[in-house]
Amino acid sequence: MTALFKTRLQRHLREMAKYLRLVFNDFFVFALLFLLGGLGYGYSNMLKTLKTGYWWAPVVALLVLVLVAQIGRLATLIEDADRVFLLPKERAMHAYLVVARRYSQGLAQATQIVAVFLLAPFMSVTMAWPVLSLVELGIAQLILKDALLRLDLASAYQINGQTRMNHWAIKWGVSLIILAAGLWTLPLVAIVLALVLDVAVAVWLAQHWQKQQIRWREQIKIEDNRMLGIYRFFNMFTEVPMLAGTIKRRRYLDGLYKLIKPRHDHLYLYLFSRGMVRGSEFSGLVVRLTVIGMLLLYFVRGEWLPVVLAALFIYLIGFQLLPFFQQYDDVVFTHVYPVLPAQRLKSFVTLVTLILGVTAFLLWLVVVIANPHVLTAGITLLVEVVEVWYLARIYTPQRLARSIEIRG
Amino acid sequence: MALEVSHVVGGYSQIPVLKDISFDVKDGELVGLIGLNGAGKSTTINHIIGLLTPHKGTITLNGVTIQQDSQAYKQQIAYIPETPVLYQELTLREHLEVTMMAYDLDHDQAWATAHDLLKTFRLDNKLDWFPANFSKGMKQKVMIVCAFLTQAKLFIIDEPFLGLDPLAVNDLLQLIEDRKRQGSSILMSTHVLDTAQRYCDRFVLLHDGQVKTEGTLSELQAALPEAGESLNDIYLSMTKVDRR
Repeated sequence: MTALFKTRLQRHLREMAKYLRLVFNDFFVFALLFLLGGLGYGYSNMLKTLKTGYWWAPVVALLVLVLVAQIGRLATLIEDADRVFLLPKERAMHAYLVVARRYSQGLAQATQIVAVFLLAPFMSVTMAWPVLSLVELGIAQLILKDALLRLDLASAYQINGQTRMNHWAIKWGVSLIILAAGLWTLPLVAIVLALVLDVAVAVWLAQHWQKQQIRWREQIKIEDNRMLGIYRFFNMFTEVPMLAGTIKRRRYLDGLYKLIKPRHDHLYLYLFSRGMVRGSEFSGLVVRLTVIGMLLLYFVRGEWLPVVLAALFIYLIGFQLLPFFQQYDDVVFTHVYPVLPAQRLKSFVTLVTLILGVTAFLLWLVVVIANPHVLTAGITLLVEVVEVWYLARIYTPQRLARSIEIRG
Repeated sequence: MALEVSHVVGGYSQIPVLKDISFDVKDGELVGLIGLNGAGKSTTINHIIGLLTPHKGTITLNGVTIQQDSQAYKQQIAYIPETPVLYQELTLREHLEVTMMAYDLDHDQAWATAHDLLKTFRLDNKLDWFPANFSKGMKQKVMIVCAFLTQAKLFIIDEPFLGLDPLAVNDLLQLIEDRKRQGSSILMSTHVLDTAQRYCDRFVLLHDGQVKTEGTLSELQAALPEAGESLNDIYLSMTKVDRR
């Protein structure tokens, strides 16, 4: 079983390495170095202005430590098929989970050490803590994180339906109590409390793991969510094929659809609009690019630069929307319904016009706010209108007409 | 004559799966399309619903081919696929509305029909559910409700009985019976032979891309006298001949 985890871990690390290479490209590393340097410089400057004895200093330290203690989840690398294939090996799975927890410790505990290390100068300045106390607090933090990860593991053996002992409120609660005790009394107290918690969970686990079934479905869901979070992060930098996109009801946007009357020729507008809004894949893209564009335009000054940037962002969004046309090609009814392909294309053009129109308006609004020139605002508006019209009404149908011919 | 498949040669690639297939489905008739896995049932259905274009031969539906007028052709067909296919982002209610829009049905009248169907298949309290929350059987029922919402002349039902609970199977057969009486035709592919034997008016036995035999049960019995009484026996003997 431990061998199984090791093979899975190798595969997992290879995959992560592949994405990390893409994320930490030269440009990004360069930007990151500057950012870290700037932050470090700012932090050290801020420390110089602080004195000992602020009442809020321990509160800040407490909040930071509690927050950091939650970082680093239990990575089980469990897969969906496991609940079928590994079911007969349920007892042996314990060894697997123990190894998984040991692996999860690495990144989680490193984060704790870095955080305490970064916080130490702040505490020694504002709270006048000696080095020994800081080290003790660091140890308490490590034991606490160990206990929290053990809670994650132990909760896999709880009875289905019971509130999990690694519920976020419980984790935040015990972290708050233990660290507050350490900060306002002695760090040693925090060490003792954290140890008590850790041992208590360990004893519970030792008593239960042989009797209780693993909560397979929930563990799989937790692991899927964890991976989804990682993929989402990578997705900001590069394409992640595993991210099929999730579907959200977004009931608060239901009012929007009322504008589309359920008529025969509106079939695809009806379908596309809901697919666009509720699927995260394309709507996420549009929202992200629009927000980035707005932020950028807010900080950019000049006569021509805003015009070019606004045009660029509209082009980017319009271009990325094109594949959405084929979104429903694998649903057989797209071909069976008695609806002409031309109608489908017309609906898509309407949708693209609508989306680009709203985006263009938002970008234009930011340009107007950020730039005092009437001329810049006017030219931006003109360029945007022409671009949206061309992209949506001329370019999109031309490009997609070909794909209709090929696919029928 | 509702559906007429005549001398169709076709398949997914240049190599034909269907080798010169001809059969018909008359008004108010339920025809069973019977054959082993890979015999060409789904390929035949895909040709009829217009997903595939025949290399040779024609498929006519009440005098119209898909090449002449795809809109008029498709308007007459309602299709229930073997594996339920749903739009992941649409609720059950919206699936029904999409169907109404696609077939240009009268909104109020269609909803009245829809509510009856939903009640029959015990889906009436799940109108705001997403497909992701439905079990396989429920998804199949959604497909049935959507298809029988239409006023189609021809219903094409691909293996409807697997995955449905006995109550739903019974209700589906009742629906088919009702539509037959109204003059619609049904082409149904299935492996559940004893049900097929009881309900189908005629059978088309496909084997290796060819129509082996065709006709009512008594016609089949007459054609293969030593095979046995039931459709099951006839079907098995037909496949055995080929295995030798």
